[in-house]
Amino acid sequence: MTRLTGGLIDRNAPLNFTFNGKTYKGFQGDTLASALLANGVQLMGRSFKYHRPRGVFAAGSEEPNAMVELRTGARQEPNTRATVTELFDGLIARTQNHVGPLERDFMAVNDLLSPFFAAGFYYKTFMWPKVFWEKLYEPMIRKAAGLGSLSMLPDPDDYDKGFLHCDLLVVGGGAAGLAAALTAGRAGAEVVVADEDFALGGRLTMESDLLNEAAATDWIASVKAELESLPNVRIMTRTTVFGVYDHGIYGAVERVSDHLAVPGDKVRQTLWRITAKRAVLAAGATERHMPFADNDRPGVMLAGAMRAYANRWAASPVKRDSDAIAIFTNGDDGHRTAMDLIAKGAKVLGVIDAREAAPRFGDYEVFAGSIVTGTKGRLGLTAIEITRNGQSQWHSVGALGVAGGWNPNVHLASHHRGRPVWDDNLLAFVPGPNGPAGLIPAGAAAGKGGTEEALTDGMTAAITTLSEIGITASEIVLPKAENMPSEQVAFWHVPGTKRATKKRAWVDFQNDVTVKDIALAHKENMTPVEHLKRWTTLGMATDQGKTSNISALAVMAELTGKSIPETGTTIFRPPYTGVSLGVLGGGDTGPLFRPRRLTPTHAWAEAQGAEFVEVGPWMRAQYFPRAGETTWRETVDREVLAVRSGVGLCDVTTLGKVDVQGADAGEFLNRMYSNMMGTLKVGMVRYGLMLREDGHAYDDGTCARMSEDHYVVTTTTANAGLVYRQMEFAHQCLWPELDVQLISTTDAWAQIAVAGPKSRELLSRIVDEFDLSNEAFPFMACSELTICNGLRARLFRISFSGELAYEIAVPARYGDALMQRLMEQGADLGATPYGTEALSVLRIEKGHAAGAELNGQTTAQMLGLGKMVSAKKDSIGAVMSRREGMAAEKRRLVGFKSVEPQKQAMAGSHLFTDGTVQDMSTDQGWLTSSCYSPHLNGYIALGFLENGDTRMGEIIVAANPVEGQTVKLEVVSAHFVDPEGGRLRA
Amino acid sequence: MLIPHPLLGLRDSQEFTYLGDASLMQRPDASAENAEAQFCDYVFLRDNPAGVHRELWFHEQGDRSWLVVTRDTTTHEILGAELALDVKGAAK
Amino acid sequence: MLDHVTDLTPITALGATAARAESFGALTVTENAGLGLASLALRKGQSAPQPFGLPLPGVGTAVSMGDYAAFWTGRDQWMVEATGKAEVNFAAMLKSEAPECSLTEQTDGFTAFEIASSQGAAPIEALMRKLVNIDPKAFGPGQATRTGLEHMTVFLIRRADDRLAVIGMRTLAGSLWHALAVAARRLED
Repeated sequence: MTRLTGGLIDRNAPLNFTFNGKTYKGFQGDTLASALLANGVQLMGRSFKYHRPRGVFAAGSEEPNAMVELRTGARQEPNTRATVTELFDGLIARTQNHVGPLERDFMAVNDLLSPFFAAGFYYKTFMWPKVFWEKLYEPMIRKAAGLGSLSMLPDPDDYDKGFLHCDLLVVGGGAAGLAAALTAGRAGAEVVVADEDFALGGRLTMESDLLNEAAATDWIASVKAELESLPNVRIMTRTTVFGVYDHGIYGAVERVSDHLAVPGDKVRQTLWRITAKRAVLAAGATERHMPFADNDRPGVMLAGAMRAYANRWAASPVKRDSDAIAIFTNGDDGHRTAMDLIAKGAKVLGVIDAREAAPRFGDYEVFAGSIVTGTKGRLGLTAIEITRNGQSQWHSVGALGVAGGWNPNVHLASHHRGRPVWDDNLLAFVPGPNGPAGLIPAGAAAGKGGTEEALTDGMTAAITTLSEIGITASEIVLPKAENMPSEQVAFWHVPGTKRATKKRAWVDFQNDVTVKDIALAHKENMTPVEHLKRWTTLGMATDQGKTSNISALAVMAELTGKSIPETGTTIFRPPYTGVSLGVLGGGDTGPLFRPRRLTPTHAWAEAQGAEFVEVGPWMRAQYFPRAGETTWRETVDREVLAVRSGVGLCDVTTLGKVDVQGADAGEFLNRMYSNMMGTLKVGMVRYGLMLREDGHAYDDGTCARMSEDHYVVTTTTANAGLVYRQMEFAHQCLWPELDVQLISTTDAWAQIAVAGPKSRELLSRIVDEFDLSNEAFPFMACSELTICNGLRARLFRISFSGELAYEIAVPARYGDALMQRLMEQGADLGATPYGTEALSVLRIEKGHAAGAELNGQTTAQMLGLGKMVSAKKDSIGAVMSRREGMAAEKRRLVGFKSVEPQKQAMAGSHLFTDGTVQDMSTDQGWLTSSCYSPHLNGYIALGFLENGDTRMGEIIVAANPVEGQTVKLEVVSAHFVDPEGGRLRA
Repeated sequence: MLIPHPLLGLRDSQEFTYLGDASLMQRPDASAENAEAQFCDYVFLRDNPAGVHRELWFHEQGDRSWLVVTRDTTTHEILGAELALDVKGAAK
Repeated sequence: MLDHVTDLTPITALGATAARAESFGALTVTENAGLGLASLALRKGQSAPQPFGLPLPGVGTAVSMGDYAAFWTGRDQWMVEATGKAEVNFAAMLKSEAPECSLTEQTDGFTAFEIASSQGAAPIEALMRKLVNIDPKAFGPGQATRTGLEHMTVFLIRRADDRLAVIGMRTLAGSLWHALAVAARRLED
């Protein structure tokens, strides 16, 4: 155990957890990484490519090394950073990316083969023989290089989403963020403050700095209490703002229950879409390291992280208390770690400071003008080589902290291609002036990382940015704080590792990229930072190079002899840290994946045992099987024949319905439809064909004129929303001078098709005093009436099946009862419910076009409806439909009968003259719809055939090369049933 | 994105559907001599500027108004939004 | 004034004979099956009528007087509500109040869910934050709007600090109820 004193852990709340099967103890407030360190565990994983032993390197979300598989079963999650995994009782974690025990990874042989895995290795090493790549190399590399593994089980957890609106979003709850939030909160602004940590305070929780001469936690607690008391402030811990989007929209993930063993009743995570008028980026800074030979051993970590573990988690970085700790630094910051460790009673060897004039702030040894040039220790650091002026000496240590300076977390500020700018004093990139509108950086994220300056900057940022939206905020009394010494020199890496074969200095730990790889990229002319990244994979791992990008730039700058900003600028894309796909879905799974529209007779159809089919968002009855029927065809054939011989009932509520009113309703519809609608008599219905403006057929439907200035228009089910939108476009954008009012009434009316020779008889049993005779209510008539003793209804005498047929509409809540009444009243007439399959067979038998024929590539002429495009008026698409090319189109909608009646030609088959070669040049058209016709006892089809209207009786071939099928078809009229139309006028 | 709806204020673009170039509001006169050529331009030719663009958005999950939105396509900055009805200068 | 006494029995949008109501902590969601609805649009050049004495509300707002209420749905367009008038041909009733306007019966086009909080505004606002991208602080009593909710289009009316009506398409009633219930249940913890 190497637990120190103090810290922000609750020693009264011990927690047990297992790591690689062994049980350990930690405390509430620990992370998995801090608890492991406190148990003397340094080795936490194997590296990506070379399977080098690795330990924890950082103390936050930037961690490149300590990634584990967390939990078991379906909740197993790979690549979880131990540094941000809150400890809970019963936590189970395993290391990943090794074969055999962690201490003896058999894949470590890769390390010996490292010369083969240099930068760009997969572009040039595994090139030949060519077939080996797909068959051997790639699968092998993938197997060897993968990090964690997935459970392959469905995700058992729920996810959620939500929307927040605020005046000020504060990203980060450290010194600057809390000062900004408090300033804004007191001013009455709506504030959201989000921090990825589970505790507020940021770096203040990890430093020994005093505020108001007391522990910083006192001030944090008082600010937290005040913010919680303000109704206009929302504090969101465990929440990562991962991206900035246009116009002040921010994406954030709240980890609601990742800190619990199982979520229980809670969701696991929530995706928040935050609309903020202004935002303060107070995301802090990330420390960088200085590559040196063999710098990747467990026990080598960022000095600031070492300090954080000691101060916040009371965890020492060494395996045994007796092991000494050294710090390697290029500035004053490393000395703070030494001071804090000493204060905690840890054994400190001293500070190795690259500066000749290294200061000393306390009672420890300073190795001035010195560097670290080598390390020892197979599974953990045992010794370091300190070199001064070429003279080297080995020292036994159990841990080494590296302090290379701090990089402001500019990530969000670069999400709109905002370019960070180089600051020569800070030796770092800071957010530039052209970042996302409304987002201003503050504190360490703006390069103002001293405690006093961060507090002041956060307050000032809030006042400044709120004033832009008319909110006056006043200065607040900030706690007394100071800025620690932060002198540093530009020292980026220890020289001597660019070419030597044995000595490797890691830059990017997670993707195993070394200084030598960068040198190789330079040699191969991959010097622009974008090329460097892709050639070496630097910064492309899950940590996105948070600890490595700037060091790599510095090495490349040295190689090219340019300055760092001349060499390149690293910008970042969302997300800031990895976001689970589950939460991006926002919980839209199962019934929430897509809303389902149910027809008014849905429950009734369900009770009848109907099979349903999804039609867009609708669930429609597909067919109604009866006992004894063994195939769907048997059912559908029965339903079709019932319509042709008796009467069938089908819920057609899904057809779009638009109420069109106004003095100019008729003129408006004249312009929407290719045929005349203004001349329609009141009480009559007309079939209408709508074109797109390019002249192709778009949608068909009916217009029923209920009164002089009131039409009820129907559209196809699929286009209901689009046609309504198009009508609004025409009304608002083309002809606003017309007096017309539009509103959808699709849901308001339950509409039932009553089709078949006995439909009139059936309807006569439910109407109240209404003359249904052919004379009084002929084909294409419509009327309002009452049925079933007073229920208001609309009746349309229209037919999709070719039979005598009606559609009756009643207020939707009566649809279910009406269907039942029709079934009861029609029992002796053979009333039969039918679904979409029979509906389709019926309309194919009648030769009516539907979606397959109105597919956007066809014209009115092709459909045999060329005469419908009125030449007497303008309408949408009319001019373009008369284009030469459109007029020259000779394919026509015709019917087809299989020569061998039991052989089906599939829709989509292409048509050829019998005996010709089948290719593009001989293509004569295609089949659009095909089905078995119980009426004709054989397979029939509809399709577009070159000059089809003049080829009746010809035998042609339908080819379906995908399935190697050819079927001989006879060309016939598309009207298989009652071509004269006598039945529907009966 | 947020669309500054002239009546309703800032509304999330998720409530809208996008159509494109506002020149679609200038439908040619079908009775013109060269109507077909005009319609070919109208239907098939659009400017696609990198910069300021006037375009049509439909507030489908809102008040169902068509808007003419002026947007800089290089920055997504929105410079204005008007009701199409007003742009067309409908005589009320 | 029932305009008919049909012998058919209606069902609710959720497919039952009685309206559904369920409580989730401080929130109660009730299906308002009795609400009569009709849309009213002005014809060209008309000025707004005052049906049942209602001054038709301005952009983004709602008014109510006794059993009648109206909310703005678009320029020169409103939806008029009538408590307990589902069984009436409400559009016909409204026609006598606004004979010159374009009116459409909408009672069966929609389903109204009334959400009431027993603990003031906070639970209503928390629910809104989970469902709609509308700022609840800017959506106080008397506000009405249309927006998206779980891929559906709905009208929202803030009837009071502690009451919100969600009116969605009738054929989507089941999905809308599910969405409201899931969100309300999650607020219970």
